[in-house]
Amino acid sequence: MGDLVDSMLDLMRRLPPKNVEENVAALVGMCPDYADDLLGSVDQPLKVLTDRATGKEYLACDYNRDGESYRSPWSNEYDPPLDDGTVPSSKLRKLEITANEAFDTYREMYYEGGVSSVFLWDLDDGGFAGVVLLKKSLNPTSPGEPSGSWDSIHVFEAAERGRQAHYKLTSTVMLHMTDRPTVDGAGSGSTSISKEKTEKSEAKRGGEVSLSGSMTRQIEQDWPIQDQNSHITNTGRMIEEMEIKMRNLLQEVYFGKTRDVVFDLRSVDDLEKARRQRELQKELVGFIKR
Amino acid sequence: MDTEERIQAASRFLLQSPPGEINDVLNDVRNIVSDDDSLQTGILPALREYNLSQFMTADVPGHQHQTIISEAARSPPQEGDEHDGDRFWDPRSRTSFRFDHITLEASDPIPVDPPSESESFRVALENASLTYISGHYHTGVSSIFSSPGNPDEFIIQIVANKYNPSNFWSGRWRSEYTLNVGDRKLAGKILVNVHYYEQGNVQLSTTHDISLVLPPTINPTSAASSASKVFALIEDEESKYQNTLNDAYQEMSEKTFKGLRRALPMTRSKLDWDKVLGYKLGAELTANKGAFGTAS
Repeated sequence: MGDLVDSMLDLMRRLPPKNVEENVAALVGMCPDYADDLLGSVDQPLKVLTDRATGKEYLACDYNRDGESYRSPWSNEYDPPLDDGTVPSSKLRKLEITANEAFDTYREMYYEGGVSSVFLWDLDDGGFAGVVLLKKSLNPTSPGEPSGSWDSIHVFEAAERGRQAHYKLTSTVMLHMTDRPTVDGAGSGSTSISKEKTEKSEAKRGGEVSLSGSMTRQIEQDWPIQDQNSHITNTGRMIEEMEIKMRNLLQEVYFGKTRDVVFDLRSVDDLEKARRQRELQKELVGFIKR
Repeated sequence: MDTEERIQAASRFLLQSPPGEINDVLNDVRNIVSDDDSLQTGILPALREYNLSQFMTADVPGHQHQTIISEAARSPPQEGDEHDGDRFWDPRSRTSFRFDHITLEASDPIPVDPPSESESFRVALENASLTYISGHYHTGVSSIFSSPGNPDEFIIQIVANKYNPSNFWSGRWRSEYTLNVGDRKLAGKILVNVHYYEQGNVQLSTTHDISLVLPPTINPTSAASSASKVFALIEDEESKYQNTLNDAYQEMSEKTFKGLRRALPMTRSKLDWDKVLGYKLGAELTANKGAFGTAS
């Protein structure tokens, strides 16, 4: 019944991204038979966990989950421990270790903080697939400071074809930002000592601005391969290119498109004045033509 | 989950609907619950709550304008009227009507008499609001209500919607003020919601509270000039708020967005991935030998 899953995904595309976790949980409760379809298709904010063996932080999502446990990319161990937890083949685990180191460098260069994790798994047809996760949060040090979080989820499939490999990459970035802007203007707080009550008398203002959401993009590309590590340099370049593109896109949508809609709903300039001006102009043009 | 819990979950989904998308959410929810009979009656309270809190607009039967459905618009009970809670009224045309929360249609118009002691100032506010709306909103609707039982108090509501499903966006601006000429206070809030959903789901949600003391020049005895002064105050506050929003956008773009992820690394160039792997290899060699390895 793909129809039902389509409805669930359409719903998740409409409801506020801020509430994605509780809404997914509610949907799973309503349709437990489709829990796997839903959890596999709806991206949720990444959880930060700490590897018990190394003390290093890693990211948890549906791709390193087995039952209630999550596998750390650093120690390869499940937490809570599992005796028969799914792990990659030893060849793939070797590549996974190198990939984690490489994307850790990438994370430091672009995010200057945050957490990264890479998980790989073998595919039935001989190829392999993986997910590259990156997360950074900004927590305000004072109530007036803005806060935010960035979560990247890059899922890819790699298929070797001789000395080439074909990659399919699906990238999702979740971005949340909250700001409590201070309203300037006469009469707010500090000028309350004014003697006479003028037109601008005392006023209190305050509120919150929240921008949150996610965007997803896909690409497919072929790249040459020399050895196993070529998969890391290839997916590395693809993911870097994709994040640069998506960062531009997010900038445009978050700060451009949503703002335009607000200023389209309400105009700061008087529309009536503009209308009168246009009419006057038309009259003038008509007058000159005569 | 039993049926009742499923209806409750469905109701919570409906209450989160973005501007202009309640029918899309309702279609999804119908498919997910797949029990139309219990859904139809079960979600009515949620639809009612959504319509009232979101300032849904209705075409007033027999008139050429729209009015706002809200708690303040609940029709004052008239004699001989079996009050079922779903009658609202439009003070502008002095019409009460039945409102269907599913089809969003108004029907069964009945003329009503407004409370007389506050009506002249209310009408003055209404006229000023219409001038204000046409000056600053492309698709705005306003309603002015006098508070039942308090002739000094008026409720001013404004809503503007823009739905553009073919370009995957929608937006709603709501503002509501309580004007009390006795306490000389104007208090209110502005709420803005924007949904952008082309290959994604991005939502802007803002709240803004305002509370200010009325200047002495606002006095209901000079109704027309005081009403336009009230709307001059509202105009000033709302324009100021848009500037504040601009500042918030700038702060989030300059501080938060840049602080989360750089456009390019400090080196101002993309990574050299061969070197990224090489460095790691070098670091390993260094660790093994306890000395500098070969330069890459």
